Amino acid sequence: MEVTRMSSTASRTYLDQFPAEAKVIKAAFWSSFMALAIGGLLGLVQALHRTDVLRFIDPADYYTVLTAHGVLLAITFTIFFLVGIFTWAVTTSLDRGVVDIRFTWAWYIMMVVGTILVGVSILGGVVDAIPTYADVLFTFYAPLQAHPAFYVGLVLFVVGSWLAGADWFRTWWAWRKENPDERIPLPTFMALTTTLFWYLCTLGVALSILVFLLPWSLGIVDSVNPLLTRTLFWYFGHAVVYFWLMPAYMMWYIMLPKLSGGKLFSDPLARVVFVLFLLLSTPVGIHHQYLDPGIAEGYKFIAMTNTMFLLLPSLLTAFTVVASMEHGARQRGGTGYLGWLKALPWRDPVFTGMALAGLMFAAAGFSGMINAGMNINYLVHNSWWVVGHFHLTVGTAVALTFMAAAYWFIPQVTGKALWSRQLALGQVLLWFVGMTFMSNAMHRSGLFGMPRRTAEPQYQGFNFEPAVGTVGEINAQVALGAVLLTVALAMFLLNMVLTSFNDDSDSLPANTYAGTLSGPEDSPAVLDNLKLWTAIAVVLVIVGYTLPLASIVDSGGLFGPDISGFQLAIETDPALVLESVREVMP
Amino acid sequence: MRISKGALLVVIAVLVPFVVEFRTALSWFGIELSVLESLVLGGAVVLAIVLWAVWPPNGNAEAELSGPN
Ligand code: HEM
Ligand SMILES: [Cu+2]
Repeated sequence: MEVTRMSSTASRTYLDQFPAEAKVIKAAFWSSFMALAIGGLLGLVQALHRTDVLRFIDPADYYTVLTAHGVLLAITFTIFFLVGIFTWAVTTSLDRGVVDIRFTWAWYIMMVVGTILVGVSILGGVVDAIPTYADVLFTFYAPLQAHPAFYVGLVLFVVGSWLAGADWFRTWWAWRKENPDERIPLPTFMALTTTLFWYLCTLGVALSILVFLLPWSLGIVDSVNPLLTRTLFWYFGHAVVYFWLMPAYMMWYIMLPKLSGGKLFSDPLARVVFVLFLLLSTPVGIHHQYLDPGIAEGYKFIAMTNTMFLLLPSLLTAFTVVASMEHGARQRGGTGYLGWLKALPWRDPVFTGMALAGLMFAAAGFSGMINAGMNINYLVHNSWWVVGHFHLTVGTAVALTFMAAAYWFIPQVTGKALWSRQLALGQVLLWFVGMTFMSNAMHRSGLFGMPRRTAEPQYQGFNFEPAVGTVGEINAQVALGAVLLTVALAMFLLNMVLTSFNDDSDSLPANTYAGTLSGPEDSPAVLDNLKLWTAIAVVLVIVGYTLPLASIVDSGGLFGPDISGFQLAIETDPALVLESVREVMP
Repeated sequence: MRISKGALLVVIAVLVPFVVEFRTALSWFGIELSVLESLVLGGAVVLAIVLWAVWPPNGNAEAELSGPN
């Protein structure tokens, strides 16, 4: 069957092809899984605390837990997995190793050191022996202030990811010398365009940390402009969601068609999509600040317009990926208007996990459009609706795709067969079901104003009805969803651990990805002109951000009107903790 | 079995959001199902699907396949 490229290396795993790179990728994946394990468990603690099903932490510590959950899952889990996948994608599609494996280990270790600093800083909020604090949530803008170690850790982590990008570029440059007339292979193209907008957007957060937050936390400057740090955060904060999403998109483009038994419908369309993300990911961040006073409506309107354009690449993706799956299903003998769906490999957890993740992403697209609309955003802003929305995007479209991908990748980089396919299939289904319960309840309650980031919202003693049902039902549904998700998480980790100890290394699939029906020869050469697209992206950022930033600095000052910072960590009296424990104990 | 056990499980899992969202959507038309009613409704649909799946394909008991799974 001609579904795959790289026939010369057929039936060889990634480990056989690139043993040295496989080690780094394996390490990156395990770093990611560890973050997922801890972060996920904290998610359960939060969900049970908020819904008053089980409260064993002090309410003030809720924010420490929430910070750890947000940072470990949205930043650590996602980005470690990304660097693993992109390293795989670049080396596999260029069919050559990285230029210098020591450099690869160097950025990985840098990211680990950064993560440890960040993690310990956050943990200091609940462990008296550690003198740090970082209850700043994963958005970490002023006036919330963290210990300097937190910011230093973040910087190390981000710089590590920059070096990872440099590694992929170096590898590509080396390949280009050897293959001067060839098009950039699609997976490498995806990794490089993603890296480019990552550089562009992280500049904002680097600026925010190095010029404002870190000096402020060190006491070098004694005030910052909170609106400026917020705006710089969101300058990065929207693009980062696409940074998480791009490896998932890559999997949908180059793995799903292969798993369905076919080829990617269109290579040119895939390139267009990634170029659009490079152009539009960054100049839209202000759509997270529709409710911020101090930014004129006009700028918000421009951000909204750009955001609506961003729907285009996602709709193109939905079209291309579904068309490729249909092509694959028909190759496998599927027929009929919708009957081809039956011919898809639903028993394969890698396929099913990714397909269901894509389905949830479609649902998230709808709630996303509501968030993006300037006027309806006022209805849902800062409510649990938003939390429901992004547990469908990063919490499922990304996380479930990554877990499903891991069922394919871990055997590839370890040379050991997946321990149990049945358990894996059950796991992806359980995550899907658990998220349905949790996210639906979050959307329903948020629509009627239930706040996010609140340890113990009180809805007793007066008449309050969320959309459909009662608050009690909402709470039960969130708690049920959270428990199912945690069980699914445990199933995933168990399978990964047992796979690592698996003696069985037979019948491993070869390291391949999907071929294309319409290949790179059909796409205009200008699509591969990365310099051009980067230049346009920079121009769009300048257009989108110069005036708003200038007016923020103009009205609030570069270092703000004497904002001296606020540390969420509250001294707690052990007697109070004991009392609250007694309250929940029967 | 008309479909494999794995596929049956997938169908049932995908059904869950439909039932949950159906209940939410119905309320906007003034039809409020209680949790119990939704559970019964969902259970009935699941039962119907399971029956369909395990029923011999052409009503002929001898034609029953052992199933590919
Ligand atoms: C075991 C599965 C999970 C559970 C039970 C869970 C639960 C929760 C809950 C209840 C909240 C809201 C807290 C509040 O608003 O007061 C929350 C927030 C959040 N979750 Fe999750 N979650 C899970 C998985 C994930 C995953 C996989 C990701 C991302 C990859 C994620 C990312 C986030 C983020 C970014 C926040 C916002 C934190 C903030 O407001 O600062 N969660 N989670
Ligand atoms: Cu955004």
